[in-house]
Amino acid sequence: MTDTTAVLGYAWPLVVSPGEEVAFHLSSATLEGAEATLIRVRCADPDPDGPGLRFHQPGTAIDGPVALRNQPLRPGSCAIIPDAPALNRPGSLSLGLFLYPTAPLAGAQTILARWRDDTAEGWRLALNTEAQLEFTIGAGGRLWRATAPRAVIEREWIFVAASLDTGAGRIALTQSSLDPQAGRDTGCTTTAEGPGAITWATETALTIAAHALEPGAAPRTAGHFDGKIDRPRILSAALDAAAIRALAENPSPAPAEPDLVAAWDFSRDMSTDIIRDLSANRLDGTLRQMPMRAATGANWDGRTVQWTEAPELYGAIHFHSDDMHDAGWSPDLRFTIPAEWRSGFYALRLCARQDSDDPVESFVAFFVRAPLGKPRSELAFVASTATFLAYANSALRMDQVHAEAMLEGLLALSRDDVYLQEHRELGLSTYDTHSDGSGWCYSTARRPIINMRPRGATFNYGNDTHIIDWLEQIGQDHDIIVDDDIHRHGAQALAPYRCVITGSHPEYFSRSMIEAFDSYQRNGGRHIYLGGNGFYWRIGWHPTQPHAMEIRRGMNGLRTWEGEAGENALSFTGEPSGLWRSNGRPPQRLVGVGFDAQVFTRSYPYEWREPARDPRVAWAVEGIDLDAPLGDFGLRGGGAAGLEVDRVEPTLGSPPHLLWLATADRLGYGGVPTLEELRTLHRGAMGDQNARVRADIAFFPTARGGAVFSTGSIAWACALSHNNYDNSVSRLTGNVLRRFLDPSPFEGFDTQERSLEGICPEA
Amino acid sequence: MLVNDPEAAHWPVDPSRLDLAEEFRRKPRGPHSDDLQKLLHRMRWSGVGRRYVLVTLEPNRRWMLGRLPGKRGVPVETFPNRVFTSLADAEWAVFAMRWEALTGQKIENAGNEP
Repeated sequence: MTDTTAVLGYAWPLVVSPGEEVAFHLSSATLEGAEATLIRVRCADPDPDGPGLRFHQPGTAIDGPVALRNQPLRPGSCAIIPDAPALNRPGSLSLGLFLYPTAPLAGAQTILARWRDDTAEGWRLALNTEAQLEFTIGAGGRLWRATAPRAVIEREWIFVAASLDTGAGRIALTQSSLDPQAGRDTGCTTTAEGPGAITWATETALTIAAHALEPGAAPRTAGHFDGKIDRPRILSAALDAAAIRALAENPSPAPAEPDLVAAWDFSRDMSTDIIRDLSANRLDGTLRQMPMRAATGANWDGRTVQWTEAPELYGAIHFHSDDMHDAGWSPDLRFTIPAEWRSGFYALRLCARQDSDDPVESFVAFFVRAPLGKPRSELAFVASTATFLAYANSALRMDQVHAEAMLEGLLALSRDDVYLQEHRELGLSTYDTHSDGSGWCYSTARRPIINMRPRGATFNYGNDTHIIDWLEQIGQDHDIIVDDDIHRHGAQALAPYRCVITGSHPEYFSRSMIEAFDSYQRNGGRHIYLGGNGFYWRIGWHPTQPHAMEIRRGMNGLRTWEGEAGENALSFTGEPSGLWRSNGRPPQRLVGVGFDAQVFTRSYPYEWREPARDPRVAWAVEGIDLDAPLGDFGLRGGGAAGLEVDRVEPTLGSPPHLLWLATADRLGYGGVPTLEELRTLHRGAMGDQNARVRADIAFFPTARGGAVFSTGSIAWACALSHNNYDNSVSRLTGNVLRRFLDPSPFEGFDTQERSLEGICPEA
Repeated sequence: MLVNDPEAAHWPVDPSRLDLAEEFRRKPRGPHSDDLQKLLHRMRWSGVGRRYVLVTLEPNRRWMLGRLPGKRGVPVETFPNRVFTSLADAEWAVFAMRWEALTGQKIENAGNEP
């Protein structure tokens, strides 16, 4: 059994151009070193029934031994405000904030602190292991503490006020429920002895949602909080709870208020990692590990669900004790990509213990792009980096109740999955929930991603390399372009290519990406979509941080977590998120077909339909028996139509000139329609009774000689290599590709004819 | 917050329905009768206690029985003495263990316990 996790790493940047440098950030807890080899990936799927792992080894100066060290991962988000004179006013102090704990019994958690754990000095507002609020003062080796007599309730807003009155030598702590009825009232006040005078230790950072373990402006942290914090305030006077609350209720307190030390408004600079202080002291801070912004505050009342319309209702940040978006590892190897290298899926392979019965072979993936405006081929294959990021380190099968029932069989975990079960510090995917149960809405590439590389995963990355393998096999030259660049440069990234292929499951698209494809197709571009459930979710990319994406899943679609009310607009961009179908751009409008069902019981062949005999598409079916099933083979379930499938649907935008060439219908009881396909509740929705559960193959011409060909199935890519690549799936794909690379326009579609034979939109 | 309840699958299992066990043994990937579909949903939804899984030893060739701990960060329990060279054998072995957990009755010829 090959050990794929004894050394892990990430490449930065994830995508490089020829001539640019990539750095490999590596870590091993057990190995002193490994043998590094840089490879270009042809096939990443180790299944011995398929092509198997296939790599090209160009030979580089960094091939050879590399020394390894252990670089820890420190998950947990928080805000850090470096020490400042305003924080050192001696004497009395008050704090106030709105609090929404989401895992109050998960262990002690710090909410707001100016505390050094190494010397137990400073002040700290926290939850103890019994979910009770505590306000602690430490100085000179002595501790003063007030503990609330009543535990907080999970996912209920409270207002918290704490104060130190040095004149009276008292500390006080008050919690007030915002919905104090029906058993939800945990309101209480407690006081305890406090110091009569105090001088605060300097060089101590102020922290929100964690506390510092050490002095300095960038301390390591612990005691990470799960939940939302809204409108925190600090005052240099001992005020009563009502006065503190009044200051917190006001989203914009007067900066000149003389006792006001700090008043943060988390709704400012929403897309950044900066938090803004509204007080005259300007104690702005920095967020670590990307907690969720654009979260509803305690004052959110449902008047809008879009934070951009009323940012003052979105003054909360949802912190998670397991947020992980930047491993912060130091680089161990650097390599400048030679200018003449092909674009492609690349990886650094790390091997060790080759003679043992547990040899190490681990990969760190990266992509070499074809530089913008400098195509080296007429064909581009898109690396679906947005989708790879969305799925990065998914622990869904381990964590979610439905997984085995959905997949219709025992879960088969790779060694990577087994590692991830134990090592949640890697940070999970946007399919997962945080340890507090809330959805994971960001994913970034500054951390090891163990399911975006050869060997382990048989979805997305691995499936897409079957298309690369097939292109290599037929000798078809191609460039690799990536989602990140299509977002950033729009249609320019696609325009140089006669034809662009999207892969097995290009599911996640920003508005800029969708518009790029739309523009490309309208301007003569040819698009071959060899997948299923593509162009489905609307995402955002971070405006400045590379390789960082966001999804808010909302309350519709095949979602493994449901977005919270009011929290379904993207913090990165202010745009709505959710399904593209719910955002006016159903996939059918772009590629003729759109997601309709999952089928994991088995995969199926397609049957040809009458339009396949249309002379206008004779080039597509040349050499193919139209009376025989299409794709009754394949590595995923024994068919070319399976896993996730798309269908033609005129009511959602499949165009009038579309030719519906083939269909895999009658998918059995294992064909389960996606949630947005059901308008009302009724039995009979599964594939054994529902003709709308199916995979369709479609072709249509677009403006200026462009065209689209879609196969509507994730399993398609894994059928290409069947029978040594000599099969109907391969032949059809090859016929279409050859024609799409031929610039001559598609004739006979410029009439008023409507070719949607046999499709009756629902009345 | 919408969550999936592991206790939600509540189709009553009839210990006398050994015909369903036999149907599954003969055809673990289906298609299955209505009642066997319901039985499998019951077994697969909850996992009947900590969920049995497979750990891939050789891709598409060899798998070891494992069990999820039901808690994040805790290692997968593995059973090195229970290695399967076919998914059908693995499905049947886990089916038999779940049958016993649900009905209190052993299925004969189901292989050894972990």
